[in-house]
Amino acid sequence: MANEQTSVPLYAAAQVLTAANMNISAGTGVPVFATTVTRDAAFGGANEKVLAEGQLCYLSASNIVQYYDGAAWATVGPAAAASNPGLVCVKAETAFTASATVSADSVFTGTYTNYLIKVIYTTSSTAGLRFKLRAGGTATSTNYNRQDLDAADTTVSASRTASTTSLFIGYDTNGDFKSSIDINIFAPQLAQATLVQGFNDAMFRGASTTPLFFVQSGNQSSSTQFDGFQLAPDSGTTTGTYTCYGYSKAV
Amino acid sequence: MRISDNGTDREMTAAELATYATEQEMAQTELAKENAAKLAKQVARQAVLDKLGLTANEAAALFG
Repeated sequence: MANEQTSVPLYAAAQVLTAANMNISAGTGVPVFATTVTRDAAFGGANEKVLAEGQLCYLSASNIVQYYDGAAWATVGPAAAASNPGLVCVKAETAFTASATVSADSVFTGTYTNYLIKVIYTTSSTAGLRFKLRAGGTATSTNYNRQDLDAADTTVSASRTASTTSLFIGYDTNGDFKSSIDINIFAPQLAQATLVQGFNDAMFRGASTTPLFFVQSGNQSSSTQFDGFQLAPDSGTTTGTYTCYGYSKAV
Repeated sequence: MRISDNGTDREMTAAELATYATEQEMAQTELAKENAAKLAKQVARQAVLDKLGLTANEAAALFG
């Protein structure tokens, strides 16, 4: 029995219904099967409908509606659930203008373990940017430790500082020369040391022709649960934007 | 002195100004210390170069 109908009949009172009449209602509609196995077994046997194009079904095991296109079953819906994005924006892009201090609170929560902050910035003077973690609206100024690697033209240098009041995170631009910093923060909400990685691409000292490469890996070694961060130039002000993302923990 | 406070640009309060001043002082002290350490490294490096009779460019060409 093909699924194509040529009419949608209505029956009159006392009308004698034939098998063909009854099969229109028996063989159409949307049958419900537990699985694809029981679905496939339900067609083509003795006193069973031959599977044909246009057949619909609902599979209760997977909660989907399917149709048969004459060769195979295809799913109508619902659409497969979207997988979790790798990064979830937890703090929308935020602009700051000529600020001596830039603070963001209630950004790190228990929802994510690790975070990425993307910063585009300029500095008003030859003073670079420093980074601090915050808890409850207050910046923490102890127990920062870092290892740096700088590359300026052919000169590569490294240094290490310990027990400082902040982490140096970005070189100065000394004017409107857009520079960037990626800051990865690991486990700020856990009561353990917080790891901080910075990757700085700076148009150093006001020249696009003198890009400076600066990476730092470091930590704040207290067992404090932080919920925010702070950027501040050593002197002068900074202008730019920041956006904060949480790294998804599930597929 | 202005602060970007969770996305709001505004003037600092008196308390924030005091905190800022303290933090700046700490930062400047540390910066001076770091610069001194860098300078000491440079001086030590130059001393070695002087002993070897090499310029900085020659040393870079030699050692990468």
